[in-house]
Amino acid sequence: MDLMTMVLKMSEGLGKTCAIFFLTLLFSLPLGMIVALLRRSKNKIVSNVTRFFISVLRGTPLMLQLIAVTYGPYYLFGLTVSRNKLIPVVIAFAINYAAYFAEIYRSGIDSMPVGQYEAAEVLGYSKVQTFMKIILPQVIRRILPSMTNEIVTLVKDTSMAFTVSYQEMFTIGKQIANSQTSFMPFIVAGVFYYVFNAIVGFAMGKVEDKMNYYEM
Amino acid sequence: MKKVIALALALVMVLAFAACSKAPANDKKTFTMGIDAEYPPFSYMGDDGEYTGFDVEICKACCDLLGWNFEIFGVNWDEKLVQLDANECDCVWSGMTILDSMKEAGYVISDPYFKNDQVILVKADSDIKGSADLKGMVVAVQLGTSGETLLNEELTDLTASFKELVTCDSFLKCFAELEGGSVDAVVVDKPVAVARANENKDLVVLDEILGTEEYGIAFRSGDEQMCKDIQGAINTLVENGTYAKIAEKYPDIDAANLVFLNK
Repeated sequence: MDLMTMVLKMSEGLGKTCAIFFLTLLFSLPLGMIVALLRRSKNKIVSNVTRFFISVLRGTPLMLQLIAVTYGPYYLFGLTVSRNKLIPVVIAFAINYAAYFAEIYRSGIDSMPVGQYEAAEVLGYSKVQTFMKIILPQVIRRILPSMTNEIVTLVKDTSMAFTVSYQEMFTIGKQIANSQTSFMPFIVAGVFYYVFNAIVGFAMGKVEDKMNYYEM
Repeated sequence: MKKVIALALALVMVLAFAACSKAPANDKKTFTMGIDAEYPPFSYMGDDGEYTGFDVEICKACCDLLGWNFEIFGVNWDEKLVQLDANECDCVWSGMTILDSMKEAGYVISDPYFKNDQVILVKADSDIKGSADLKGMVVAVQLGTSGETLLNEELTDLTASFKELVTCDSFLKCFAELEGGSVDAVVVDKPVAVARANENKDLVVLDEILGTEEYGIAFRSGDEQMCKDIQGAINTLVENGTYAKIAEKYPDIDAANLVFLNK
């Protein structure tokens, strides 16, 4: 197999890798915020249930969660396994990453001084207004570096989708490697991941610059 | 910023649609073959990027004969039976060793079509000439293969004499360990070993046979008819010579070990 065919074949898989990446971000970013807010709830039951949810998702391997989401419904309820593997894969990834994002959001929200809430109250802001207009913009600015970390990890974690036979880039790379007994596909995969993450890093850097409105 | 978000969302939608699988064009029966796409020469990705191999070509020929649509599903070998149960494929047919536990679990298993010998692959300049020489050596084997079962469950005395048994998750890694000098021998299926030794003249396959298993095709329990249909198609292919013709294309598969050609 010449290099061109190899790169082309793996590029097909790269589309699927991108699909996991973007769809996971699309769902896990808002879901993480909901989880973070539930975790901070004054209601002990709600916050403890959320705490348990986060601990399970952080305490078990993503690979196991992928298998559970994909085959669990079949073994528990006899439901058919989705032919489009993207659905269970994205569900598993989104839930897993939401748990991590939730803790990052929480660290950001908790780092805001109480004085700001009190000042907002004096100025007549409602609770929702205080959160959306005053707290959240500052939180986003503070948590961006840790979010970049997590997002870069997500790019690399997409390779885990092979567990449930989703033919993403790395799965195809491994198939070529073993079929052609060649290490070349791994080098190609490394370049693909590195370039993907370089773009992510660059984009996140731009966003950080945009958010640095307090500094001259 | 809004433009960027809009663009990103548009991209996501395009990708989501692109990832959706297409429905078959007609209402012919579709037969989905479950393969390990990393198992040459039985099933692998060919030079043109399409799946091929001895098992794949035989299955394709069977489907043509039966008038079925032919599809391939790349299984994750560790979970092949889960994926078969879950209807993701209609059979597992990819150099699969027949285990008693599969029959006990109710899977319908075809007649064995290949006798697979487990052999030892070593470097050409190695002092190892047989399994007795493996004492105190580091040996590699692929996780989840019949070689691993053989070493860990049947030849336990032999395995105990090793310095260490290294398990790798693919053949390629086993070979890389051997060529790189970190292990002294690899226990592997004969066709795979022969193919590798042909490519790399620094490696030799020892004559000693550690064990023999039979390859078969696994179907879900209750799919006896499907198994019979495929079996019938294979018999036709054997009779009209197509089977032998396909086998000739894969010289790494020893024709003497192909059960149907030696009846």
